Amino acid sequence: MARLFSPFSFLLTRYGRASGIGLALAAALLVLGIFRPNYMNFDNFMVVALQMSFIGMAAIGTAGLIISGNIDLSIGSMFALSSVCAAMIAKVAPPAIAILAAIVLAGLIGLCNGLLVWRVKLSPIIITLGSMAILRGVVLLITGGYSVRGVPKSFGAFGQAQCLGMPVPVCALVLMALASQFVLSRTTVGRHVFAIGGSRTASIAVGIPLRRLVLGIFLVNGCIIGFSAVLAASRYGSASPSFGIGLELDAITAVILGGVAFTGGEGDILGVMLAVALLGVINSGIVSLGIDPHWSEIVKGGTLLFAVSLDQFSQEARERYRKLLAMKAQ
Amino acid sequence: MNHSDKNVPSEPASAGRLQKPLVSCRNLSKYFGGTRALDRVSLELYPGEVVALIGDNGAGKSTLVKILSGLESHDEGELWLGETCVAKLGPREARRFGVETVHQNLNLCDNLGAAANVMLGQEPVRFRFGPLRIIDEARALAESRRRIDEIGATLDDLTSPVRRLSGGQRQAIAIARALTSAHRLIMFDEPTAALGVHQTRATLELIRRVAAQGVAVMVISHNMEDIFAVAGRVVVLRQGRVILDSPVSAATREGLVAAMMGSAPVLPN
Repeated sequence: MARLFSPFSFLLTRYGRASGIGLALAAALLVLGIFRPNYMNFDNFMVVALQMSFIGMAAIGTAGLIISGNIDLSIGSMFALSSVCAAMIAKVAPPAIAILAAIVLAGLIGLCNGLLVWRVKLSPIIITLGSMAILRGVVLLITGGYSVRGVPKSFGAFGQAQCLGMPVPVCALVLMALASQFVLSRTTVGRHVFAIGGSRTASIAVGIPLRRLVLGIFLVNGCIIGFSAVLAASRYGSASPSFGIGLELDAITAVILGGVAFTGGEGDILGVMLAVALLGVINSGIVSLGIDPHWSEIVKGGTLLFAVSLDQFSQEARERYRKLLAMKAQ
Repeated sequence: MNHSDKNVPSEPASAGRLQKPLVSCRNLSKYFGGTRALDRVSLELYPGEVVALIGDNGAGKSTLVKILSGLESHDEGELWLGETCVAKLGPREARRFGVETVHQNLNLCDNLGAAANVMLGQEPVRFRFGPLRIIDEARALAESRRRIDEIGATLDDLTSPVRRLSGGQRQAIAIARALTSAHRLIMFDEPTAALGVHQTRATLELIRRVAAQGVAVMVISHNMEDIFAVAGRVVVLRQGRVILDSPVSAATREGLVAAMMGSAPVLPN
């Protein structure tokens, strides 16, 4: 019995991953609170939240893709391209048009990725690796490698505004997280996203419109990236061709750490958001504690490896746990 | 063109019925590359009958099942579902026409619960919100509970992932899913292959009950005992052709094996 009710058995339950990350988050905050008491204040949390909001939005799109058994590695390049385009258009057109154009552009790129993945029937990793390189090349070509500066103030107003007492990007992330959690857990579309991640053949056999769904997920992911790219360009008042480098790594790390199975079909947004928060606290904590900031890349990569190993081990542990339960029940 | 004498290899056992067929295949052919997997297959399925479809490996049984369930489309011939001639049938349309299939691999999503699997693709909707349809979980749960109980399976937990359930329980879920909308034809692909003695008996009993409700049932099986136990009519495929279409009462075990293997003349009706 002792093994069944070990203090860590809750980690094997449905919300186990979320509670595990919650614990890690609490531990990290505790360490920071002890060694750097002035880390623990609302303004500082908002700074961290703002830094993480773009990664958080990307993680939501990536979570949807991975749950459905897909992935899009080109989100970083897509982010750069649409923020650069938004800034360029904002110089000659009203902000609303720039914002809309960048979102539509990223949506279309996402859709193209989806079409390629659907039609070429090759691993989405390979296909979007290709578009990642192409898009980055396009960004460098159209900017000549220089940042786009001198956007009008009216364009910046949108990203620099406050909303519900938070900077707009943070507010957008919160709303987006709530909306996506709702869609994934309560609607037919969400159910089908999980279904195609679980079994493609079964989903086809029961008549789930697979093509429409896959294209839709890539499209929505593109729009999310476009929206967050516009926010970034607007907030910073400029757009650099080096925006979004490594965004896919950050997003995937958060998603996997947040309990989404890389093989698809499992996960939720709550876990992903907690993972985003944890990564943000770790990153800012490293700086705050005066550790060499170059460590943050190592910690990030290490966290990803830790997360995927944890994923594997917890699956094995869950299997053993079930077996034990079944043996007790006999 | 006079179809009537070319269509049918032998006079079908169903000839002379007053009822209209729920499904009829007329000269269906299907090619895979240069291979003809189905060769002018004509077959009619009537309300309330259980038809056994048998044949050696590669005879075209699963191709026929796939065409009827909308997973493959036929290249030649006509497929009639009631009064409608369908040129291209997708899985979604097939289900809408009331054609359901319990595939041999069961086609369950292992990551979803039993209720989600039973209702997959046909989730009850509480209300619509633009393109989003909110699932009525309470109704989904009640409906799948009713279906699974009706089948007589013991399954308490309808929400945790189905991957750890037993073969019989998993099959019950697949059958429950098929029952939710099968009002025309339900096909069972090797329904007893993975089952024990007790469950086999229960499944055959279920097949009889389903047919008694006026649905056409097609059973693909290798098991002669099952066929003689449950089917009213037997159709033998060989090399994509219908070799035999006869009432089970007129068939013998040896005759069916001979027809499948091609080592004996076709049985008279």
